[in-house]
Amino acid sequence: MALASARDPRASVGHGQRSEALAGYGFVAIPMFLYFVLNIGAIVYMIWISVWQWNIRSGAGKFIGLQNYQNTLTDPIFHRAIQNTLYYAVVWVPLTMALGLLLAVLVNQKLRGRTFFRAAFYFPAIASSAAITILWIFLAAPDGFFNGVRSALGLNPIFDLLGFKANQNWIGDAKTALNSVILLNAWTTSGTFMLFYLASLQTISHEIYEAAAIDGASSWQMFWRITFPLLKPGHYFVATVAVIGALQLFDQAVIAGGTDGSPANALMTVVLYLYNIAFAKFDFDYAAAVGLILFVIIFTITLIQRRLFGSAPAW
Amino acid sequence: MRRFLAPLTIIVLIVGACSGGATPTPAGSTGTAPSVAPGGSVESTAPSTAAFDPKSITGTAKLSGWQSSDAENAALTATVAAFEAAYPNIKVDYKVTAGDYAAVMATNFSSKNVPDLFYVDATFAQPWSDAGFLEPLDDYIAKSGFDTSTFFPGYESVFKGSDGKIYGLAKDGNTIGMAYNTAEVPTAPKTLDELVTTASGLKGKDSLKAPMCLNPGLDRGLAFVYAQGGSIVSDDGKTNTADSPATKTAVQWYLDQFKSGNAMTASDMGDGWCGESLGKKHAAFAFEGGWLDPAMTSTFPDTKYAWGQFPTGTSGSPVTISYTAAYSIGADSANKDQAWVLLQYLAGKDGMTKWTEGGVALPSRSDVPTPKGKDVLVAQAQFAKPGSGFFKGYADVQKAFQDAFTLEIQNKTYNADTVIAATKAAVDKALAS
Repeated sequence: MALASARDPRASVGHGQRSEALAGYGFVAIPMFLYFVLNIGAIVYMIWISVWQWNIRSGAGKFIGLQNYQNTLTDPIFHRAIQNTLYYAVVWVPLTMALGLLLAVLVNQKLRGRTFFRAAFYFPAIASSAAITILWIFLAAPDGFFNGVRSALGLNPIFDLLGFKANQNWIGDAKTALNSVILLNAWTTSGTFMLFYLASLQTISHEIYEAAAIDGASSWQMFWRITFPLLKPGHYFVATVAVIGALQLFDQAVIAGGTDGSPANALMTVVLYLYNIAFAKFDFDYAAAVGLILFVIIFTITLIQRRLFGSAPAW
Repeated sequence: MRRFLAPLTIIVLIVGACSGGATPTPAGSTGTAPSVAPGGSVESTAPSTAAFDPKSITGTAKLSGWQSSDAENAALTATVAAFEAAYPNIKVDYKVTAGDYAAVMATNFSSKNVPDLFYVDATFAQPWSDAGFLEPLDDYIAKSGFDTSTFFPGYESVFKGSDGKIYGLAKDGNTIGMAYNTAEVPTAPKTLDELVTTASGLKGKDSLKAPMCLNPGLDRGLAFVYAQGGSIVSDDGKTNTADSPATKTAVQWYLDQFKSGNAMTASDMGDGWCGESLGKKHAAFAFEGGWLDPAMTSTFPDTKYAWGQFPTGTSGSPVTISYTAAYSIGADSANKDQAWVLLQYLAGKDGMTKWTEGGVALPSRSDVPTPKGKDVLVAQAQFAKPGSGFFKGYADVQKAFQDAFTLEIQNKTYNADTVIAATKAAVDKALAS
């Protein structure tokens, strides 16, 4: 055997590589099969459903082509859902990224009780979103905690100037409902983003900071000239996850505003609208069209983000 | 090329597999024909042409409905036990459908794995029957001579499909009545004018945030519209009447209650619903149904309240709205005959008497004794009009009304014109569909 191997070492290496490759393909076969069925297959099926009058019991009825996509152009609730979702993404993503980065920088310092603060800041992220949204509803109620605190602090005249009543119904009022949910989610998700940023922060070498300190850089300069640019992979990851999550806002909206996006569609998001069309109206073909449009929006924004942040970071 | 062939083949296979059920099939098949057995009838009023003997049917009937209170579960368990005693050949397998009922049922309809008998809210009756999810009951009703004439009209009509067939029998019902705090309101107002006068006198009194708790939608507002001679569609459901002068006057009257401070929404009072506002003494009047009673008894036992008939408006006739749900058999249910035997019992006089004895539901039939303390709400069923599901697309109309109405209140503009315009457009769209 040893003689045979010695005679043709390339054959042995080739055989080993093939075995290794086969083992590799074997390992990825099941995940790839599931990926194709549950992701690619679902998208293809969604496109298929969207061009028929679809009955979930009997399947395809009349072929309607792009009719559902045309209908979205004249659907005011869909437009409102898109508007709300984009507004949420534009406000919530930078706000939560900034909060997450701030918390990460804070807990990355050598502070006493650092572990406690890390756990405390992360705690809202591990609480059930349903439970924490209900808690928020109580806090933001007309006779809730927020109104009580601002009244006790004598801040009502300032809020009055801004147009908010003493018993402002923060979630029940169409003018403030979405911003209330933005604040809620900024609070609950900033802990998760803190963790992501913390991991990125700890990859930055201390030597760079030491060199900067020798050169006389202030903490502020070190943050903006060293930390922030070197966190680019972290920014890319957090921004991508955040935007995708923002465009899929559902649970907090449905708990705070019900399935109809109350008050007056202020909490209607694209995913909530999709859910409504499918499960309240049983209009699955239109829901599939809305779902595909959402997919295209998310995919496009992710590509734009990738372009903005340059090539994919080497994680 | 080979690089692309493999994924393409997989996609084609997936599409093929997924579209296996895509072949159009006729919706609403009549399913299994009832077995024919000589003699016997379910309801004694039926003629002797009855050809379905429920006593001859054996097997299991799978029953399901949405999650409910412990009291309701206990009442249903007692009713099912009474059924099994009366029909020992049929065993009932009752399982609650947990979670979002409509969403779970959608998956059941899709997989053609539906319970034999299940709850259908009036809101879903028409879309589900039009989509062919439900079994028409006309044949069963005819062959077993089941008497449907004693159902209150408002409870029966909403379960007729677009094809005129019956797709469900109301398991119970509720009417919207006027619940009032007896400590604040010694005598119940009988008319809307009296209601406004009484409410005006209560402003700022005790712990009241507003005298009345009103919903900013048609789920209660429609009763006030009817009371003032207005409507959303004509009685035949074919003509848009949302912009009639009477409707506009009624909507303006409803908005004016908020403008004058006579009314607030439950949300603006910091409450989840108007029953909570009544219980917490934030409001002296709430317009609710029988579901209020268990909530008041269990959560707010210190608040004394009574029921009054829904106040009469300028129409001069007593009117209110009602809500109901039915028992229906699925088009794909496996045990339809067994399901029908169970259905005819549960929606019949004996079963409904047992069910409503539990104190959580009101009868949908006039020949069932009125449960204690429910006289006002049951009596209103004689003149109540359906509050949901009475024409296709009504849910969208409700949403359009509520969205516009809410903005009028929150923007403090209180203008009925915008509400009427939004509602009219939604009704037009619903009727066109």
